[in-house]
Amino acid sequence: MNKFKKITLDGLIYQNPTFMLVLGTCPTLGLISSAFSSMGMGLTVLVVLTLSNIIISALRKVIPNEVRIPCYIVVIATLVTFARMFLEKFVPDLYESLGGFLALIVVNCIILGRAEAFANKHTVAESAVDGIANGLGFTAALTVMGVICEFLGNGSLFGYQIMEFRISMLAKPAGAFLVYGICIALFVYIVDGFERARRVKANKLARENLLKEGV
Amino acid sequence: MTVKQFFKSSTFKCLITLLCVLLVSGVFLTIMNSLLKVTDEERFARAINKIYGKNVTTESIAVGEQINEDNYHIDEAYLVKDDGNYLVKSTGKGGFDNGTVTCWVVVVVKGGAVSGIEKVVIDSNKNQSYISKINSAFLDGFKANFTPDVPFNANVGFVKTGATMSGNAICRSVNGAVDFVNAKFGNIKEDIFKDKNYTKYIDTANTKGEYDEETATVKFEITTSGAKYKGENKAGAFTIRIAVDALTGVITDYEILIDGSTSATYSGYMLSTIKPDGNYIFVGMDLEAVINFLNNGIELEYPGDGKDTPISSGASQSVHQCLYAAAFATENYKILLPAVEEPDGDGETEGGSENE
Repeated sequence: MNKFKKITLDGLIYQNPTFMLVLGTCPTLGLISSAFSSMGMGLTVLVVLTLSNIIISALRKVIPNEVRIPCYIVVIATLVTFARMFLEKFVPDLYESLGGFLALIVVNCIILGRAEAFANKHTVAESAVDGIANGLGFTAALTVMGVICEFLGNGSLFGYQIMEFRISMLAKPAGAFLVYGICIALFVYIVDGFERARRVKANKLARENLLKEGV
Repeated sequence: MTVKQFFKSSTFKCLITLLCVLLVSGVFLTIMNSLLKVTDEERFARAINKIYGKNVTTESIAVGEQINEDNYHIDEAYLVKDDGNYLVKSTGKGGFDNGTVTCWVVVVVKGGAVSGIEKVVIDSNKNQSYISKINSAFLDGFKANFTPDVPFNANVGFVKTGATMSGNAICRSVNGAVDFVNAKFGNIKEDIFKDKNYTKYIDTANTKGEYDEETATVKFEITTSGAKYKGENKAGAFTIRIAVDALTGVITDYEILIDGSTSATYSGYMLSTIKPDGNYIFVGMDLEAVINFLNNGIELEYPGDGKDTPISSGASQSVHQCLYAAAFATENYKILLPAVEEPDGDGETEGGSENE
């Protein structure tokens, strides 16, 4: 159970693909001016990532090492094409708002990265959890930045106008880059703070134990 | 390497694995494509729903080769029967990376020319990575900034979106739709009497009418179609001025301005029937009285030459046209009455009746 918890926490926090590994920046910078598009992109990547992790993990003993990358690409491209068809049929608004970025999921570093770094070395269950955790981490990061950029850049949230005040630059890729940088800094600062506190607590506990043992 | 060695080698295994993955993917996508394919009807219904928020009745319009190589391509066009506007699907060129944006444009035509843009909705695009930045404020700009004969320019009068190239393509798409409607329907006068009752022998396009507030009457200048009867001596078109009382629907004035009779003789025959004592017999008649005059049913069909009917006079075709004009006026005067605000609840609406 600890193994799954570690995989989940890694995907969500300690190896968050957006804030810690800085992967998948193309859709991040292109779409975070709209919270709806950001969340839609995040959820689409979550589904594709989870399915690709499951399939690649299931086929890891069948696919020869020499052709693993082309096979991964074909699997991912198939899933992305399926996602495109699905969104166009059932969620046309999201399909339109994602535009060309939807097709670019095929070459998203997170998906190929997790396939190569995790799915081809772990079981199907572990790979599925990894896909969900990383997908959720990516979705959460994009949604948070989308909310910030849309709120400050357009004065709206998920398309609903809230205020007239706006900093237009934040609704553009340059502003998104700025928000992205600030978010990374904040995220790393918070995670580091927790880590430091955890280490201090662990050291303190170890010192007390040593004192108790009279060393 | 022998054939046997080849089949046992990792090269063969790699090849087979890749082919299998490709085959499975191909089959999967083929099945999914047939299941999830968005049909043209679905796309059209979506577009209609986006524009109107409900289903509307449309009539397809032949587009032909409406292409401007540099700027736009007209894909489809419809007449929206519910509001009389034109719905045009137009693809604007010159977007980002030489891509295109296809839009649905609702074009309003009044007085023989495009008078405005009601709505612009994006249908699809090619290679427009920043299309999501085209917001509703930008699209609403087409309605607000429309000026007759002045094409739209993304740099003038529009909010900045961060997707300038896509905005240019959208402007070209809308300009194309306006050009198309202007070219196709710009010079056609609005025909408010078309398809109304008692129009079979009326030239509705050349018939005018207006409400006169001072006399509380609806004044028509009706042109009949003429020459629609069987027989050799076909009467020509008449132009007749008719006034109808707005309250009672009774004809208060009747005057033939252009006599379509083929000769003075026939004209005399006609006048002896409809103006026997110097006054037109139609004055004082309402719709019911006009219909009863011919006594052959509500259709008021021409009974034919040489028949023993109330319009038989030696000039029955002319008389029938004059009678039919009276029926047209007493039936359709309500169309021209000023709009009256309805009380709350289920009040009856005024206006023309349904088609025959």
